[in-house]
Amino acid sequence: MNLDRLFSHLAGFMDQYLVLPVLFHLHWMAWDDLAFDWCLICVYGLFAVLVTYAVCLPLEHWRPVERWQNRKAVLVDVFYTLLNRVGVVPIVTFVLFYQAQTWSTALLVRHGFIPPTLDSLVPGLFGHPLLTFCLYALILDCADYWRHRLSHAFRWWYALHSLHHAQRQMSFWSDDRNHLLDDVIAFFWFFAIGLAIGIPPLQFPILLLGLKFIESVSHANIRLSYGPLEWLVVSPRFHRFHHGLRAAGRQSCNYASVFPIWDIIFRTADFRNEYLPTGDARAPEALVTGGYLAQQAAGLKLFCQALAKSWASLGIGRAA
Amino acid sequence: MITRRLALSLPMALAAAPSAHAQAAPPLAFALNSAAGSVTIIDMKSRQPLRTEPTFREPSHWALTRDRKTLLVCDAGGNGLFMFDPRTAAPLGHRRIADPYQLGFTPDNKYLAVNALRLNFIDFYDAATLALVKRFEAGHWPSHLDFSPDSRWSFHSLQKSNSLVSIDLATLSQRWSVPVGDTPAGVLWHRGKILVCIMGARGFVEVNPENGRITRQIVTGDGAHNIFIDTRRNVLYVSNRGPGRTGLTALDPASFEILRDYPISGGPDDIGIDPQGRIWICLRFAEAVAVLDPQTGDYTTIPVGRSPHGIFLNTMLREPGLITAERI
Ligand SMILES: [Zn+2]
Ligand SMILES: [Zn+2]
Repeated sequence: MNLDRLFSHLAGFMDQYLVLPVLFHLHWMAWDDLAFDWCLICVYGLFAVLVTYAVCLPLEHWRPVERWQNRKAVLVDVFYTLLNRVGVVPIVTFVLFYQAQTWSTALLVRHGFIPPTLDSLVPGLFGHPLLTFCLYALILDCADYWRHRLSHAFRWWYALHSLHHAQRQMSFWSDDRNHLLDDVIAFFWFFAIGLAIGIPPLQFPILLLGLKFIESVSHANIRLSYGPLEWLVVSPRFHRFHHGLRAAGRQSCNYASVFPIWDIIFRTADFRNEYLPTGDARAPEALVTGGYLAQQAAGLKLFCQALAKSWASLGIGRAA
Repeated sequence: MITRRLALSLPMALAAAPSAHAQAAPPLAFALNSAAGSVTIIDMKSRQPLRTEPTFREPSHWALTRDRKTLLVCDAGGNGLFMFDPRTAAPLGHRRIADPYQLGFTPDNKYLAVNALRLNFIDFYDAATLALVKRFEAGHWPSHLDFSPDSRWSFHSLQKSNSLVSIDLATLSQRWSVPVGDTPAGVLWHRGKILVCIMGARGFVEVNPENGRITRQIVTGDGAHNIFIDTRRNVLYVSNRGPGRTGLTALDPASFEILRDYPISGGPDDIGIDPQGRIWICLRFAEAVAVLDPQTGDYTTIPVGRSPHGIFLNTMLREPGLITAERI
């Protein structure tokens, strides 16, 4: 049995014996079709976490950049990862924003715009799902570069993103450490892009996990660069530079998640072979060592303060 | 390997076939892999997958044009409508239309009705040109549909509004919308009545098409999803999606008395029936098509792509009368 089939079986089992009984008793059977998709996300997500763990843990022991007294600060990142990868945050975001999503798509369709797919737009692409997938990966990574870069440029947005930067003990668990509001913004960001170019082909979940794997590894506490391939794929060295104390805040570098090519093209790449301590010196301690809820609350507070500041400066500007 | 199989099976099919044009086609099954963006073409004789044809993202259901020359496959996630030669499975191109999840031609071949589940649209397209004629926003998540055989009315289940809506096809106006139960799905016109599967309950309801009144409630199994009629052998089938026990229930089409229960695991979805009466069933989780012998209840499986949803058997082309995904 191949991996793909095994995952479908596991997801089917989970759907049949865990999810459907709940949906049935709550009179939510309308979600039956999507329930299986969600189970697939969970199964694949769990697999990705296990693989990342199996690969990164020995590497972090072998060539760590930093040695820590204790790993308590890492625990909260583990929680973030499980929440995000094993499908809780994706499903909650999806269900919460389903109406907004369909409402806006329906609005566009009513005005004659039917969202296309890349393989219907680019001649010769249809029937080549692997090529189509690669093109989607590039475009979506570029979109993510700009989302990330903009999240450093606006005070209110960085107030949310600083949660990601606050971690002083950065490890392969840190990739999913984000403020919920930041996740919501990302959701809508990619939804808008989906309206323009459609969703990627569905038949390559393993490749999709491969891309997420690169992101996880890039956060790992490993003294590792990809040498002559540094320009091709984001390495732990490349992304650690982005997490360096100096790079927190408005002026930063190495924004790319998977392909450094965007930093090269848009002139934000820094390939110096240095392994700097990570963190955000201005982040309140709750954002660094607080529990999940404390971090979320601190992030929200920073966000509100930043918004108020922006409003105030806007008001002063007008008065003057 | 694949070409050899094709070469072997073709002459066999031709030799066995009488002279009629439709019967000369090699018997092929089309499994629509909803999470793989493809259609697996299966040689029904050797029960081996021959090849896959690409779609965009999410092929779910099919409809056959009245001249039986084109098989339409809808792709909701890719906003596409794909055409195939039903005899050879040769691809005939695609069109961009909004979110087609479930579709059907009116028996008079005037309209193609499309349920756009995610967008809450019930769309009527001109059957010849595929130009949009009228759009209804009657409720949430239109899922399955059927028509009265005289093409006066259409019926659509609204999965999230818990209702059934009927449209007058002469005036293209809504006739009524009635609550039918928790999460209605499969819809079938049957002997002057409308049968609607109720997923949140344990069976289906019989509805009077004149006024939308429920006249009977029949228990089959948990999560009754879709309802089919084997027109040659006169058996009704209801697929039950669970939770827990899943499978097919066979019923007497007149009395609705349960004839037999077929437990099937792996997420059974749409079905087709071959000339020998065997039931071909898409198994969503098992990534396979099961071929069930209704006499013994035994089945074997054929591997296909991820999450197979709808299935079309081109042996249906040999039969006279109306062919829809539920009238098989
Ligand atoms: Zn950043
Ligand atoms: Zn990072």
